[in-house]
Amino acid sequence: MKKSPVFLAILMIALVALPGFSQAKIKVLFMPGVTDPFYFTMEKGIRAAAAKAGVDLTVAEYPKAWGPEYQIPILQAAVARQKPDLLLIAPTSTDALKAPLKAIYDGGTEIITVDTFLGDGDYSKPSDYSFPLSYIGSDNELGGKQMAEHLAKLVGETGKVFCEATNPDTSSVQGRVKGFTAGVAEYPNMTLVGVEWCLDVQQKAQEQTLAALQKNKDIVGIFGTNVFSAQGAYQAVVNAGLTGAVKICSWDATKDLIGALKKGQVDLVLAQKPGEMGSLAVDWGVKYLKDKKNVKVPKKVIPGFEFFTRDNVDDPSMQQFIYQ
Amino acid sequence: MADTASSTAAPVPSPLVRAAARNWSALFLILLFVAFGFAAPNFLSIQNIQSVVHLQTVPFLLAASETFVIITGGIDLSIGFVMGLCSVSAAEIVQLLAAKGLSGGTAVALASIAVLLLSLLPGLVNGVVITRFKVPPFIATLGMWGMANGLALKLCDGFPVAGLPDFLPRLGNGYLFYALPGNFVSLFDKPAGFPDARIRELWRLIPFSLPFIVAVLGFLAFRLSRTPFGRHTYAIGGSMDAAVRSGIDVDRHLVKVYVLSSFLAGVGGVFNVFQTGIGNYTTFNASYEFFAIAAVVIGGASLSGGKGRIFGSAVGVLVLAFLENGLDISGVQPFYRYIAVGVLLVVAVVIDKLFPDLL
Amino acid sequence: MNDKEKVPRKSTLRGFLGGRWVAIFLVLEIVFFMFKSQGFATVNSAQILLFYGTQVFLLAVAELFVVVTGGIDLSVGYILGFASIISIKIVDALVAAGLSVPASILAGTVATLVIGLVPGLVNGWLVAWLRVPPFIATFSMLGVCHGVSELVINGVYAMGMPQLAADIGNGNLLYKAPHLPFIFFRRPEVERGTPVLALIPNIVVAAAIVILIFAFVLRRTRFGRHLYAIGGSMDAAVRAGIPVRRRILQVYALSSFLASLAGVTYAFMYVSGKADAGASLLLDAIAAVMIGGASMFGGTGTVGRTMIGALVLAVLDLGLRMAGIATFDKYILVGAILVLAVIAARYLPEAQHPVSEDRK
Repeated sequence: MKKSPVFLAILMIALVALPGFSQAKIKVLFMPGVTDPFYFTMEKGIRAAAAKAGVDLTVAEYPKAWGPEYQIPILQAAVARQKPDLLLIAPTSTDALKAPLKAIYDGGTEIITVDTFLGDGDYSKPSDYSFPLSYIGSDNELGGKQMAEHLAKLVGETGKVFCEATNPDTSSVQGRVKGFTAGVAEYPNMTLVGVEWCLDVQQKAQEQTLAALQKNKDIVGIFGTNVFSAQGAYQAVVNAGLTGAVKICSWDATKDLIGALKKGQVDLVLAQKPGEMGSLAVDWGVKYLKDKKNVKVPKKVIPGFEFFTRDNVDDPSMQQFIYQ
Repeated sequence: MADTASSTAAPVPSPLVRAAARNWSALFLILLFVAFGFAAPNFLSIQNIQSVVHLQTVPFLLAASETFVIITGGIDLSIGFVMGLCSVSAAEIVQLLAAKGLSGGTAVALASIAVLLLSLLPGLVNGVVITRFKVPPFIATLGMWGMANGLALKLCDGFPVAGLPDFLPRLGNGYLFYALPGNFVSLFDKPAGFPDARIRELWRLIPFSLPFIVAVLGFLAFRLSRTPFGRHTYAIGGSMDAAVRSGIDVDRHLVKVYVLSSFLAGVGGVFNVFQTGIGNYTTFNASYEFFAIAAVVIGGASLSGGKGRIFGSAVGVLVLAFLENGLDISGVQPFYRYIAVGVLLVVAVVIDKLFPDLL
Repeated sequence: MNDKEKVPRKSTLRGFLGGRWVAIFLVLEIVFFMFKSQGFATVNSAQILLFYGTQVFLLAVAELFVVVTGGIDLSVGYILGFASIISIKIVDALVAAGLSVPASILAGTVATLVIGLVPGLVNGWLVAWLRVPPFIATFSMLGVCHGVSELVINGVYAMGMPQLAADIGNGNLLYKAPHLPFIFFRRPEVERGTPVLALIPNIVVAAAIVILIFAFVLRRTRFGRHLYAIGGSMDAAVRAGIPVRRRILQVYALSSFLASLAGVTYAFMYVSGKADAGASLLLDAIAAVMIGGASMFGGTGTVGRTMIGALVLAVLDLGLRMAGIATFDKYILVGAILVLAVIAARYLPEAQHPVSEDRK
């Protein structure tokens, strides 16, 4: 078969190229989820912490679309290029990443998942996904619930609301939707008319929101679970000429959303703390690597979040939470 | 694959049947309106119909572009991604110019012109590759499909291009008249100070996009049916040899057709920025070209060339759009539209085979 | 010259000569990337390449069979997606119904492959009996599969493959740890950090076996010869007594089968299924076939050369990734390579088969 001579050649070269060298500096690899200001900000936090700790940092290519079939090949290639001692990754799927990450873990790398998690996120119980050191990310469920409460206040606690979400197999989004649904349920005069999944594509979010607005003429509030869905949702509201009549609350404080908040197109923005997530991940990981016997890394580290409204958006103390 | 002549001589159909077959898609559209009008109360509202037509502006442009190409017997798979590329480029250029201090209006005008000029390129490449290098249109435009997409992703990193001047979506989504029934009518925008709480009572009439698209489609239809350019297009599609023998410079004409195709996609891309207020790259499963080609075929064109009208393609676009809209509003899963399109396409081809000389 | 003699010979002899430039290009590509980044030419990288390229390899073979008959199959990407979804749904349903996990996985896979024949049969029927141009027929099927897939999953991905499937999907044939003998299928329990050599992913083995079978069928069976003949000249094939309609039906069914298999491998690898899982792979599949030297009009092309074409793309993919270059840029390259390959094929001593100038 035509493949075999090529394969043999590679095999022979491999026997020479296989062994790697270990170096003194700790090697850290950051595998982000997708091209998105949230992860850019996280990268900044990681870089700062890495510089302070004196470790070697590599940032893998940012996948241009969210999904394990985009992220896993990039991850494998990056690990093959240079085996890291510590891997910081935002897994783009709760299930699909288990096997590849386990293989990397078995190869000797320590893993911390940031922003999203594997399985159900509880690494303290032994399971097929309990091998990571820790999960560092927002309490998405709590955030979703608080989002519902804020939105309820904005719409006077009555009316129909709609949720535009992204990927159903992403832990963070699952949490937000769950929290939001539970939160809305606490208001007897409010109904959640639907949850749509735009798969992290802004245009799809726009189309789905537009369709929802046409179907339910009296939607008063929309929750966009991340940058893409929130931006798509407010595009749709603008398109339908309903700015002002529909309140939009969104997750992730990108410059665009903050701008939209100031202009009145969006009414509420939740800011996570990606920079803090990144630096915490580096700090804990390095601490552990330097002294494995004595350091106990908490299995969950939850930085908080902040809410931006039109009232506090210009506060100097709030500016640091905007994703740069 | 030569069609061996069928032994069944089709009986000559009556003029009424022929007219029905020729316009079956228009008839189907009327049927859709009736059906959905009963099934869903909100369907027949002015707001809904205008909204649907407004959102089809880009698909109209893409279908028009595909019409010309398909009439010549070719195909253009790249228009979806060319549109995305132009959308992204236009947005990026506006950002660039605005950063240099140019006013929003000037930046947008310059960016639009620049992108419209640039949009001629993909078509030029397609045309040359197809005529000079004899690459089948399918492959040539498939290659451009990949290249345009790669370029767009490279420009925007998979992230829509935002931060554009505010007036863009206002202009793109604006209506000519804003009326409060029994009260007033205001032009171009809702009256200043109009309370948010009463926005839903406002009636919007005639989106800006409507005169725009009617003018464009009207012009293209004229070009196709009444000018030598149009006649040559049909001639090439009908029989390339006959066209050559009658003195038409086929190669040159084909290049023009593909350039027109990508230009219209470029117009779509620029309009897209106006409509959404951001630069949008095209995602893999957006299937713009799928729906454009489907619309053209449903509208009566034949993939072997020589048949097709702008009006037919426009009807095709409306059929697909109202089908989806109707299903959505009736609460039926919108995914059925994909299946419906598949079925409609096959119906279109069968009708084409049954009535081969309808024009 | 005798038509019947010519067909297989031509594909091997002149095909070999014409296809050489692709093999040379492939070797140059590999050498280039070896220098660009350390770690490229290792067993590990080769396996990553083959593993993540599985779907494209399978789709390319599917496309090749159809292209040989002078047709095209645009629906393979969405058949893949469809199969990835229903395989998970069926396996889950069986497990829930009480069947043991291994049996469910086996039955689910078989069921998916059988159901996966349906789109192809419809395609074939449309093309062969209703005389719908392959482009339209498979174009419609693309839409139908998309719609049906979305219906089944209702906007949410198909999730929940049992662990065993994930293990098979991500597992390897052989493992070798230092001081331990070769072990089949199961990763040896060793201390963390000990380098374990994992050889040949299961999925690659399965795909390779299937591809070899298909290559044999195309090259050495009467069925294969018929396909070439149909691509060469449909009229001549009819006159020679070949059951043309039946063959066309069969070839689209085979294409659909391979696409479904690709979908199943996707489900095993990524333990999730989505409608557009294969949407972006259509370009690669067709490009692989064209780069491998097949003619759009039919009558030429072999599995082997198509695989080389697919390898060219897979090496490009991996090489760019390991060199740290943004891989989404590769679409630009693939598009360009596709067109260049077709142009090049015209100017090289290729099979001058008496094909009808009918472009579709």
